[in-house]
Amino acid sequence: MKAITLVAGVLLVFVFVWERVDVVRLGYQIERLKTQKILLERERDQLRVKVSTLAAPERIAKVATERLGLVPPQQGQVLMVHLPGEIPSLTPPPAELIRVARHDSIGRIRQ
Amino acid sequence: MTAGPSRGRRYVMLLLLLCGFCIVLFRLVTLQVLQAAELTVKADRQHQKTVSFEGARGMVSDRHGKVLAMNVEVPSVFGVPTSLESPSTVARHLSPVLNIRREELDKKLRQDKSFVWLARKVEPEQGRRLQQLSLDGIGVVMEGRRFYPKGPLLAHVLGFSGMDGQGLEGLERLYDSHLHGEKRVTVLQRDALGRTVFPKDVAEQTPTPGHALTLTIDEVIQYIAEKELEEAVTHSRAKSGTIIVMEPQTGAVLAMAVSPRFDPNVVTALTPDRWRNRALTDTYEPGSTMKAMVAAAALEEKVMTPGSMVFGENGQMVVANTTIHDHDKLGWMTFSEVIQKSSNIGAAKTGMALGDQRLYRYLQAFGFGHRTEIDLPGEVSGLLKAPKEWGRRSLASISMGQEVGVTPLQMVSAVATLANGGVMMKPYVVSEVRDQKGRVLKEVLPQVKRRVVSPETARAMTTMLEGVVTNGTGAKAAIPGFRVAGKTGTAQKVDSRTGAYSSTQFVGSFVGYVPAESPRLAMIVVLDEPQGESWGGVVAAPVFRRVGEQVLMYLGVPREDTVKIALAMKDH
Repeated sequence: MKAITLVAGVLLVFVFVWERVDVVRLGYQIERLKTQKILLERERDQLRVKVSTLAAPERIAKVATERLGLVPPQQGQVLMVHLPGEIPSLTPPPAELIRVARHDSIGRIRQ
Repeated sequence: MTAGPSRGRRYVMLLLLLCGFCIVLFRLVTLQVLQAAELTVKADRQHQKTVSFEGARGMVSDRHGKVLAMNVEVPSVFGVPTSLESPSTVARHLSPVLNIRREELDKKLRQDKSFVWLARKVEPEQGRRLQQLSLDGIGVVMEGRRFYPKGPLLAHVLGFSGMDGQGLEGLERLYDSHLHGEKRVTVLQRDALGRTVFPKDVAEQTPTPGHALTLTIDEVIQYIAEKELEEAVTHSRAKSGTIIVMEPQTGAVLAMAVSPRFDPNVVTALTPDRWRNRALTDTYEPGSTMKAMVAAAALEEKVMTPGSMVFGENGQMVVANTTIHDHDKLGWMTFSEVIQKSSNIGAAKTGMALGDQRLYRYLQAFGFGHRTEIDLPGEVSGLLKAPKEWGRRSLASISMGQEVGVTPLQMVSAVATLANGGVMMKPYVVSEVRDQKGRVLKEVLPQVKRRVVSPETARAMTTMLEGVVTNGTGAKAAIPGFRVAGKTGTAQKVDSRTGAYSSTQFVGSFVGYVPAESPRLAMIVVLDEPQGESWGGVVAAPVFRRVGEQVLMYLGVPREDTVKIALAMKDH
């Protein structure tokens, strides 16, 4: 009985020590992953800026005209094609589709 | 015999052990009890690291999510002069990497300080090279740097932020409370090697980044406006220029271009004069564009109808002992023709028919003399004096756009009111504020300011303003396939030396909307002091056409003729 208690006690001590060591190990792991996350986020942001810089309309226009020799379409070269049944509309979205914040009547002259 | 010395030795040993124990005990009590407080602080200082985190500044993007401003972490370089053995050697190594003169670095590194910034927010590549050099006493920390990936695009609206991430101009300043990231100071535990251990709560250590702004601006429309404005300013050798493109139904600003431009990535060498958003900080005498609003008031008050006959006095009329001239010797003409031909005399007579109080009331209702309350800093209210301050000529002068100061933004909002059936909308540039998880914190909806004129008056004005483009002074603004309504303006500037109207300095402008029957765009083009030809119809109207043409194509607005063909095909 005494021996079992002793073994159990020693085991408990081992478990406790193992747990403490594991907590420390996980703590370091978390730190490492956090650093990795920061580095990846930093890289992502740098790439995002790079993409945005490369996609600037000014640059695209320059590449299109100077390097690729493209020119803006002239009058009549672009025609809007619509699917059957779809009537092209000249009208902007109807007023009821535009959500409006509030109606301020200050200074109104006449309805 | 042996017991004596042996016992003696034992006593000595015991005494020594006792002494040793007492010393240990004494030391223990000193450390644990007497010096406890002081040493705890010291230990904490060694085991704990206080770190200040600042969340990244929020992103700014256009209406389609294209990035216009964002933060990226870049290296900042510092030195610890007190720990340097040979500052001159370090300076020699650093100089080519940082592109800073050796003497300058040497001077900084010789200061009697424990910390000194050598270069802040440098390129990532420079940081990497520095780390490779691994110089003692030189360190690198990461700091958030603001990038404007599109360079000068929209710079006057975006503004810029300072070295420490605070908004200094434009939207960066006005929305600073939303954009700036949260600052948080956290205590971290560290081990004997200085590594951080046991983060108590990982989430707690990451400070919240600033909120992101979504603008009403369309990057492509902005580019078209800026490109055409730059060309026009260069071609006309104007001092400056402005283009504003607005959605008449909502008041959303699609583009706001100001020339000369600047790059918000490099502002240190520039003066405030360069980054001022002239579209809302500078006023000018609008000249003939004002006649559109005077005419709308006259129609609304039924003082005139489009067919009313007005006599042009053969090009000269005396008002308050001064003579008002017209460009041509005009005789009888309809009220529509007064606007088409931009007759000063016709406009003056219209103003007189309205009377000072009514004219003043309408001009106020069109927004002159008041800020539009757009969400951009630095807006001025312009100048519209009350009738009691008017002189004898004022009624005639104001009717033709003199003696009033307006901003380009006020003028485009006034004309957008006519495009929107007489209802004035509040102009705005920020449509949404989102948090870091993309949740909408603030949604800006179009806001009605007031009804200024009736839908009938707005319709009649549209027909009259279409006449300006089809048969009048604005012919060069005509866009094939679309009906354009607009008004030209050429105003003499007041010579600051003489106080009188200059005969060489003008402001040429064109303001209008397209397609006239159901407007998608309201736009103003203003060129300040163009050289040579300075008529609004000559310098500004063609810019309106070029921008309008490209923007309508970009938006996929069908030409009038294609709609007619499609409708005819459907009938068959």
